[in-house]
Amino acid sequence: MKLDIGGTETIQTDVETLWRALNDPVVLTRCIPGCKAMTETAPDAYKVDMQLRVAAVGGSFEGEIALSDKQPPNTCRITVSGAGTLGHGSGEAKFAITPLSEGFSQLSYQGVGEVGGLVAGVGQRILGSVSKHLIGRFFTTLRKEFEDGGALAAGAAE
Amino acid sequence: MTADPSTFRFVSSNRRVREDRRFVVGNGHYVADVPLEGMLHVAIVGSQYPAARILGIDASAALAMPGVHYVLTGEELAGAVDQLMNGLDTPNVRRFPLAVGQVRYAGEWVAAVVADTRALAEDASEKVRVSYEPLPYLTKAGEALEPSSPPVHPPHGSNVLLDKTFVWGEVEKHFTESPRHLSFRVTWGRNSTVPIETFGVVASWDPWREMLDVWASIQMPKYPDQIARALRIPANNVRVHQDVDVGGSYGVKRGIKHTVLVAHLARRLGRPVRLLEDRLENMRGGDAHGPERIFDVDVAFNDEGIVKSMKMKALDNAGAYAGRAPFQLGKPIGAIVGPYKIESVQYRAQSVTTNKAVQEAVRGFGQSPTNYAIETAIDKVARACGLDRVEIRRRNFIRADEFPYLIPSGTRYDSGEYHTVVDKVLAHIDYPALQAERDRLRASGLLAGIGIAACLEPSGGNSSFEPLLNEKNQTTTWMDSARINVDGLGFVTVTIHTTSAGQGHETLAATVVAEVLQIDPDLIRIVRPDSLACLPSNTPVGSRMAIMLGGACFHAAQKLKAKLTRIGAFRLGVAADVATYENGAVADPASGRKLDWAELVNIAHRGFHLLPPDTEPGLEATHVMQVPTGDKLPEGGRVQMYPCHSFEFHMVLIALDPVLGKPEIRRYVIGHDCGTVINPHIVKGMTLGGIAHGIGAALLEEFVYDDEGQMLTQSFMDYLLPSSHEVPQVEIVHHCTPSPFTVFGQKGSGESGYLGAPAAISGALNDAVADLGIFFDKLPIRIFAISDAVAAARANPTGKTAV
Repeated sequence: MKLDIGGTETIQTDVETLWRALNDPVVLTRCIPGCKAMTETAPDAYKVDMQLRVAAVGGSFEGEIALSDKQPPNTCRITVSGAGTLGHGSGEAKFAITPLSEGFSQLSYQGVGEVGGLVAGVGQRILGSVSKHLIGRFFTTLRKEFEDGGALAAGAAE
Repeated sequence: MTADPSTFRFVSSNRRVREDRRFVVGNGHYVADVPLEGMLHVAIVGSQYPAARILGIDASAALAMPGVHYVLTGEELAGAVDQLMNGLDTPNVRRFPLAVGQVRYAGEWVAAVVADTRALAEDASEKVRVSYEPLPYLTKAGEALEPSSPPVHPPHGSNVLLDKTFVWGEVEKHFTESPRHLSFRVTWGRNSTVPIETFGVVASWDPWREMLDVWASIQMPKYPDQIARALRIPANNVRVHQDVDVGGSYGVKRGIKHTVLVAHLARRLGRPVRLLEDRLENMRGGDAHGPERIFDVDVAFNDEGIVKSMKMKALDNAGAYAGRAPFQLGKPIGAIVGPYKIESVQYRAQSVTTNKAVQEAVRGFGQSPTNYAIETAIDKVARACGLDRVEIRRRNFIRADEFPYLIPSGTRYDSGEYHTVVDKVLAHIDYPALQAERDRLRASGLLAGIGIAACLEPSGGNSSFEPLLNEKNQTTTWMDSARINVDGLGFVTVTIHTTSAGQGHETLAATVVAEVLQIDPDLIRIVRPDSLACLPSNTPVGSRMAIMLGGACFHAAQKLKAKLTRIGAFRLGVAADVATYENGAVADPASGRKLDWAELVNIAHRGFHLLPPDTEPGLEATHVMQVPTGDKLPEGGRVQMYPCHSFEFHMVLIALDPVLGKPEIRRYVIGHDCGTVINPHIVKGMTLGGIAHGIGAALLEEFVYDDEGQMLTQSFMDYLLPSSHEVPQVEIVHHCTPSPFTVFGQKGSGESGYLGAPAAISGALNDAVADLGIFFDKLPIRIFAISDAVAAARANPTGKTAV
């Protein structure tokens, strides 16, 4: 089944820091829900291991993430494909970072995904909301990285 | 008919169903209750793609887990077993339990993981890495007819499994002569029966006795033969244990692929192996979906609404392998005109492969979809002629004095009193009052409609559709058997030779034998020997067991009664045809002297010197029953399909809120005639269950695939079953027209209710929305389809909407 994803988030940091964070496997591993490991296999190409539960089924995913059309520190295209016991999925999204008022940046993203296998059948009614929930968790964790005490708070990423 | 209904003592009487006791207290004995020492468990790795080449299977991580014994792939299995039986002459549509080289639907079995426990096997199945190269796929039957469609089985050359046109009678002439014609398309959505007990099988191999023991939740004809053939072992090395309760089947419990897989593993590993599907495995890869069919119908009729001729094209989406799907287009040929005197028929049966799960036999074997198409035609003719829908049926019905009635496709209907059944239903329901109630509901702002369906339940199943669709098949018998033994203490044991899936065969056999021998049914033990000790038998399909097992029990009991009478007459010194048999005793009517049951038993078991000459000792009788009327091969595309034809007449009142669109069944009455009823509780249960199943097919149940070939309704969250909220109280109006072809005049009732309920409910909904210009032409008619169609029609009141 096809999934449309898109949204806009406000993050309390500057454009450059946000860009670096989104290109840092260590940060992403912490923020992507269920992500166990993320290893760089080539420049801008990563292998990820994930553990997820959707509806009545749970399992592990192995996936590949590739970044392309990079225009630092503003836009990037991200391509994801993976397969596991839950099923298989692929997707492509474009994100753009724009500065907001002092100390804030806006990240907007738009993309489509396709999901197949067990997860498509079992979870189809809730996949839309599950994907929103997972994306929400990603940003919640990401924001915490920049908040006081977070790993990326004011210069900690340097 | 050989028994006089006025003398029935146990047949048709209000006696309990003996099986119910153990089921009600939770003491059924199912395949999951078979405990074997050292048993291993299987979990399945299913395909994630509708079509893909299998590039590789890496099971190393799974095999490295403690407690995991084996991972079986299709390559290995295909080298060890023969392909599963293929009923059609399509040798290049090859099917094995596990996919070989290529997957053909999402969910198809790719590998089997064997471990100490099911949970461990499931965990390990997640570690099996299968790499795929996706291939083009298709899901729609219409696409499959295109020569350019991606072939599901490339060696077969196309996606067409079957495309056969029959012409019975002067169709073109009748169409030319008829002043009025109409044509339409309706679609029967892919649904099935989904028993609460999924399929399960246990197999164990003893190499020192060379014996494969099998316990299964099975309802499969020729099951031991099919296992032996696939495994390439002698058939008498396969022992199927029939004394396993089956937790619902309704046709689909045919797990031959499961059995071959498990049997191979048991031999390969030297341990008993069990596969018990979970719900997801059952729904997506259990190969138990039902027909999915597009009907194009043309009818020729006159201004009086008399239907002269019909052309029907049925295009069925078989899924990825042939299975039993094509034959489910064949069986309805035996009642292709329903209860009507349609003089000629053209029937084109098309079965195509697509990348969907495989079909299995479902209650009625294709008859309910066909009845839905026929009944839609009759409703449309009524509307075209401005006739009442009951009246048009009366005009077209075969009359009681016209039986036995030969229909154009070669089947002779046994008996029926259709007009009388309708009269009884109308009197019961008060038809004018029902119409007034519908109009009152409409006036109150609801949508409301009356649905009517009249249809037949062909019963006594044989397999005449097989030689009809495949000339290489020359089968003309589909026997069933019974054996009766009276032991040395005079107790009676009857053996029956199939499993049962809740049809009450133990009650049936005991009732029939008791009736003939005039002894208490509760004194009769019913047993099911293993398959090696069985007489030739098939299985409880095709609404056949009241006729076939009932018939076999009747004839065996008659043989036994004749022997008892001979023994008694000899002792009494009178001719056997002079002596009388009554309540187990044999008497000389002239002198009044008699020998009772105990004396007769004693002579047979201990007094060889007292037996008439040339009499075997003991009291035992067997009968192998041929299907009545089913003794000929097809000729010129015509065949006698089933021997008996039960009749049902449904009337249903449905109301719904036009905004919500949720149908509410306000009244459901069925007139039901299955000839002589053997046990009224069983017939009632069948009919109520069949109507509930029909409500599911009409309103709720569908295996939906998305455009990416993924099945979306894999669990009961999405594949909706009728619950007590949707199933109304059903009123049954009985009628009995005995069949002249059966021992008590009985006909089948195993599919009753289901065969007409979808048509009746569709008719009621279409009656409710007809004034809005809406016609629902596809089942199931889901709530959202109703509310969307009503909203669209109200927004655009002049437009005609086909939904």
